[in-house]
Amino acid sequence: MTTLELLSEAVASGKSKDAKALVQRALDEGTAPVEIVDRALVPAMASVGEQFKNNLIFVPEMLIAARAMKEAMSLLEPKLLAAGITPKYTAVIGTVQGDLHDIGKNLVAIMWKGANFRVIDLGTNVSPAKFVAAVVEHKAQLVGLSALLTTTMPAIVETVKAIRGGVGQAVKIMVGGAPVTQQFADEIGADGYAPDAGSAVDRAQALVGAA
Amino acid sequence: MKDPGHHMTDDGVHIQWPDGSPELRLPPASPLHGNLAERIARAGRPLNTRCGQRGLCAGCTVELVTGSFHEKNGAVIPAPAAVKACQGDVSAGEGATMVVPIRSLAVHSPQVVSSFKVNIPAAQDPSVPVVAGSRDHGLAIDVGTTTVVVALVDLATGAIVGDASALNRQVEMGDNVLTRIQLAGEQKARIALQDAIVKRTIEPLVREVCSAAGVGPERLAGAVVAGNTTMLHLLTGTDPTPMGVAPFRAPFTDHRILAAGELGMREIPAGAPVHLLPGFSAYVGADLVAGAMCTGLFTEPGPSLLVDIGTNGEIVLCHDGRLLATATAAGPAFEGGRLSNGTRAVAGAVERIAFPDGRFPPAIEVIGGARRAIGICGSGYVDFLGLGRRIGLLTPNGRLNGDAWEALPPEHRHAEGGSRGVVLNPREPATTITEADIAHLLQAKAAIAAGILALLRRAGLAPGDIRRVHLAGGFGLHIDVAHAIGCGLLPGFVPSQVEAVGNTSLGGAWLALVDRGILTEMTAHATAAEIVELNLEPGFEDSFIDQLALP
Ligand code: B1M
Repeated sequence: MTTLELLSEAVASGKSKDAKALVQRALDEGTAPVEIVDRALVPAMASVGEQFKNNLIFVPEMLIAARAMKEAMSLLEPKLLAAGITPKYTAVIGTVQGDLHDIGKNLVAIMWKGANFRVIDLGTNVSPAKFVAAVVEHKAQLVGLSALLTTTMPAIVETVKAIRGGVGQAVKIMVGGAPVTQQFADEIGADGYAPDAGSAVDRAQALVGAA
Repeated sequence: MKDPGHHMTDDGVHIQWPDGSPELRLPPASPLHGNLAERIARAGRPLNTRCGQRGLCAGCTVELVTGSFHEKNGAVIPAPAAVKACQGDVSAGEGATMVVPIRSLAVHSPQVVSSFKVNIPAAQDPSVPVVAGSRDHGLAIDVGTTTVVVALVDLATGAIVGDASALNRQVEMGDNVLTRIQLAGEQKARIALQDAIVKRTIEPLVREVCSAAGVGPERLAGAVVAGNTTMLHLLTGTDPTPMGVAPFRAPFTDHRILAAGELGMREIPAGAPVHLLPGFSAYVGADLVAGAMCTGLFTEPGPSLLVDIGTNGEIVLCHDGRLLATATAAGPAFEGGRLSNGTRAVAGAVERIAFPDGRFPPAIEVIGGARRAIGICGSGYVDFLGLGRRIGLLTPNGRLNGDAWEALPPEHRHAEGGSRGVVLNPREPATTITEADIAHLLQAKAAIAAGILALLRRAGLAPGDIRRVHLAGGFGLHIDVAHAIGCGLLPGFVPSQVEAVGNTSLGGAWLALVDRGILTEMTAHATAAEIVELNLEPGFEDSFIDQLALP
């Protein structure tokens, strides 16, 4: 197997240490960072997402894979940035105000990165105004709102209102998190909903017209 | 109640119960009725509407055998179908037959909820005013999110002369604290929640214990109540909204004394004092302060831990005079929530799983010795996870080991699409555990384990340093400690460190009732504790992901 194939496998099976070492090896072998992303990491995360959708892997394994992906990306991102390479689409993501859960949101963020989105992660407890400002500043095509608490679902509504008030339909809004449903997404005028991080990639690509 | 527009013809709604109780007949639906779950509840058999009738869970699913079901979104679903009773009613004016699976009933078979172990001495100095011979009894009350226990105490001796427990009737409006906090933001719902706990749960229990013990309620000198912070807010009709969003501040956690009359507790003489015990924080409540008192955590040579596992896991660590407390969110998996055959620990639940000779078929034990298993409860799942690794059936990632699974007798293998599972007893359809179930269980156990480890890390301790782990609560009393350790729920401990201590929340309420000095001590400890917010704890996410694995 080539280094990139090994790397892809290490990421998909969640072997963080191997993944880091293999990224380094690929770089040492002279493979361009963008090549490593496109030919190893993107396919790895695509396969993880695909397996997840088909119930072949579950959340624990997906989290472990995402951690390996994050480690691999941490070596590559500075190099991509330095080379001035940015993905075609930009997404802003965050957990809404009042909520501090971020494991699911981080997973969605890393899957989006794995699908070659530039992802601006605003963290947790993010106010509507901050979402709006980030969408404007980064000229995002997509914004993702995550909430894990029944009690912070109203904050999603507020944030959607603020974004529509600020930039109208210029950005696609996707919502998700355990208590969120498609019905809720429809009711509050979001553009998309995904029940899990696997389908969050498909929805994101469809929303920005990348699919 | 007669519905003048309808005659009781065979057009009625026939509801059958698999436990053999008599068929329930309701009039045909009309738009004035509300939903089917409400109608069945009004007829005296509340369904498990634990998501607050929002259609998010499958708790109130009924099996429609004839007729059709009209969902409130307009869809009409013909029989046979499984429908959520809270999402509509049978089609208006038509007859229907349905079967309610046992799992959909908000049943309650009291487990050992009133036993507790008290590790500290107490004085005979009640915290309520005793009049010998006329007002000489008191109540210790534990208000749990799911279960409420009332113990009647003879204040002359301190002896518990009777106890009774029941399902917290608030469960009908939502099974977890967050759903109730959300609801209680509105005054009408807040009043309904207060009524559900005061009038429909505690009052009947007080009547029950008093009459069983032959003690007239006029002899009650007062009460002490322990419970989580949300429950104490709902009991007093206080708006808990700030507890629902960051920074999760509770309107009150201090020791409060109210008159029974103020709380609307009509069974207790109006002027009698009701003490609400102090809590640590919004998510580490008076139940934990009471438990820490009762187990001797504050006073024994440590370091020691108090761990209470429920949908939220609460953990208190006492070390060198330092007190750390935290809450971690496990979710409903150990109560059977979201699992294919999961159930609460009720009669008919598989509560023990063993693998004689280390292989299939497993030996299973069912609560109440019931003939038919209706599902699997938390302690059964803990056995499965704890032993699954040992017998080579599970991989560290919580997947079924391919070879071991292939080698199982075919009737023990479950396969559906790409997903696999095992059937504990092929003659019992409700004994299947799938890989998806395991994934949910792993998240619950990882949240508890990572919470425990975060507190230990803060104190610079390792599991081996702990002198005693007090495992509180009903779940703690029923799980096999070795298996809880084996699956990593209690990470890195050995069984000799761990002791199941029972309902120490009730125990602490009893202590504070018989010995007023305890109240001041509780307040001192409650305010001295450092509350650890796991979200802000560096490394929690990493630790949570690490703890997803089976050791
Ligand atoms: C933009 O588009 C999208 C699209 C899809 C999106 C998306 C966005 N965001 C998510 N998705 C989707 O994709 C992801 C991958 O498939 C999925 O994300 P999930 O987040 O669902 O899944 C993650 C990959 C893994 N899952 C998780 O990360 C959540 C797991 C559980 C156990 C959980 C955890 C770990 C935690 N918690 Co909390 N926690 C629980 C959870 C119970 C459970 N078993 O689910 C839950 C969510 N918590 C709850 C509670 C009450 C709380 N928690 C709290 C705290 C915590 C911890 C700090 C202990 C920790 C959070 C750590 C962190 N940094 O995030 C408290 C509040 C503080 C806060 N976080 O805001 C506290 C309020 C109380 C407490 N116990 O302390 C409950 C909410 C109940 C309700 N009805 O609202 C809860 C269901 C557990 C329970 N007790 O029942 C999808 O939802």
